[in-house]
Amino acid sequence: MKLIEILKVALAAIWAHKLRSALTLLGMIVGVTAFVTVVSLIQGFNVYIDEKIANIGAKSFSIQRFIPFEDFKDTDTIAAAQRRNKELTLDDYEYLKERATLIAKLGAKARGTPSQIKRNDQVLDDVFVTGATANTVDIENRNVENGRFFGDTEAEGAARVAYVGADIATKLFPAGNPIGGEIDIRGLPYRVVGVEAVKGTVFGVPQDSFVVIPLKTYQLDFGPLIRQRSLYFLATSKTDQGFSDAVEEARFLLRARGKLGPNEKDNFGIVTPDAITGLRDRIFGTFFIVAMVVPSIALVVGAIVIMNIMLVSVTERTKEIGLRKSLGARRVDILKQFLTEAVTLATIGGMIGVFLAWIVGKIMTVIFMQTYLSVFAIAGAIGVSALAGVISGLFPAWKAAGLDPIEALRADT
Amino acid sequence: MTETPIATATATSVVTKPNLVSPDGKIQVLIAMQNIWKTYDMGAEKVHALHGVSFEVHRGEYVAITGPSGSGKSTLMNLIGCLDTPSQGDYWLNGKNVSEMDDDELARIRNQEVGFVFQTFNLLARATALHNVELPLIYGGIPSAKRHEMAKQALGEVDLTDRMMHRPNELSGGQRQRVAIARALVNHPSILLADEPTGALDTATSYDIMNLFEKLHEDGNTIILVTHEHDIAARAHRVISIRDGLIEKDEQIK
Repeated sequence: MKLIEILKVALAAIWAHKLRSALTLLGMIVGVTAFVTVVSLIQGFNVYIDEKIANIGAKSFSIQRFIPFEDFKDTDTIAAAQRRNKELTLDDYEYLKERATLIAKLGAKARGTPSQIKRNDQVLDDVFVTGATANTVDIENRNVENGRFFGDTEAEGAARVAYVGADIATKLFPAGNPIGGEIDIRGLPYRVVGVEAVKGTVFGVPQDSFVVIPLKTYQLDFGPLIRQRSLYFLATSKTDQGFSDAVEEARFLLRARGKLGPNEKDNFGIVTPDAITGLRDRIFGTFFIVAMVVPSIALVVGAIVIMNIMLVSVTERTKEIGLRKSLGARRVDILKQFLTEAVTLATIGGMIGVFLAWIVGKIMTVIFMQTYLSVFAIAGAIGVSALAGVISGLFPAWKAAGLDPIEALRADT
Repeated sequence: MTETPIATATATSVVTKPNLVSPDGKIQVLIAMQNIWKTYDMGAEKVHALHGVSFEVHRGEYVAITGPSGSGKSTLMNLIGCLDTPSQGDYWLNGKNVSEMDDDELARIRNQEVGFVFQTFNLLARATALHNVELPLIYGGIPSAKRHEMAKQALGEVDLTDRMMHRPNELSGGQRQRVAIARALVNHPSILLADEPTGALDTATSYDIMNLFEKLHEDGNTIILVTHEHDIAARAHRVISIRDGLIEKDEQIK
């Protein structure tokens, strides 16, 4: 009996009990939907971070007061890091800039302040305003959609110029070109010089509502670059190969400046792309395992339900099995028939699950964060459901194949 | 035709293939049962359903097997239909010794050599008449275009060409049994084995079905009819009566 014939019989049997088949598949569908949704969320986040790193460049790193997570593990490490590490200063920046030989570009940025921005009667609250040096546009690989980033002269002269996110431009300048327009940040007038391309949202946080102004302007208008306006540096190495040497050079220079002994810990933190991806993998490794438990339970329950229904089906169709055997069906024909039915049923469930997850992913991309449904996830989910079908179908099919044709023909059903 | 005595074979003796063609080449032995025993192990005691049954059926014969319930008639039918194998003795069907075959070989023999007709028709309720008739061909591995053609032809032989795409619940009892007969014929089996084929039908329809069997016999088919109804058995040309696991009577009536 050819596979296509077996498949036809299986589909006919499933179709004959539409409602039962649908109910049987609920567990399977829930499991696969949850599984694929979680995977596409994680993969979406990975894609986002990879893109981000690709944007910033694999050969860039940052120097800041603390190492995130590492220094904040518990209250003791926080206290120790706070005693040990001092705020980075513009003097540190100049010192490093003068001496580092392996660094191509060194930029400085300050942590942003949520601020109120106005233009005429349009008011935007809690927009993140940060200060940065002019060269950060290259280090961070900003995608300038309209106009330009501010230049060195404007930065050195502490000009009131602003480079804004796409959201700010569309909301404050609903009609007309924002470039050259004036906006009001905390009561002071700024001239818009450039607008960044749309970036979307991550974890439901819009990425297009920000303003960057020159670092010196930020210092003058917002206050000293400490605590909530803490200073940090961004650097790129001259070559890809020289990346770790550049990191070590920066570390060596800052340790020398801080006069640290050989056994003392760094009193600053260096964050590399590796550290970011490593951190991501640590967080998501755990998250992934936890997030997989629920879909897995649903899958196991789904498989048990399918097995149960297949057993019912074998009992119901005992007479049919007897008839098929009397007409020349071999054991293996019957085995294949019921196994195919279970696998087809489970695979249909898997496909519905993937489809639902695709819809959920589309919705999530709009309201929460970017998702990414890879071919691997689709194939994996359908493969796992087919496997669940094999496992749950094997025993009922084996039972059906082993029926004695005489007994089976005599069955009442 | 007189009964030719057959050398009784025991389980330990060498299997001798019976002479399957008469010297003049006209009579072909289709079924040769040689000292068939069937024993069921019911826990402590052994029940002998058949004890030493021997007979032959030639190609083109129309035989009725009768007997009261418990006579061993059903056991004999299951053996003839290759649904079961004897505990002892040899059964030759169309030149093949089926008594030693395993499940899969028996399935193949049932597919190629035996056409079953059941009392309750045993049609697949979900499938059309055409698909029901195609079933044996599917297990015979016949490609679908050829299958359609053969199934249509078989349905034509039982006068159901215009009911081909109907499902069993859209057919009358007589029509259903005719679909089942078409299914039994479709693979051109050596024997047509009917188990109480009129048991679920009214008298008029029963006669229609019996007329159909007669016609099929005239066309050259070998038919074995298992029944407990005497008037039905009387339509056959030879009647074998079974009682207590033995052949009580074997007479040519036409």
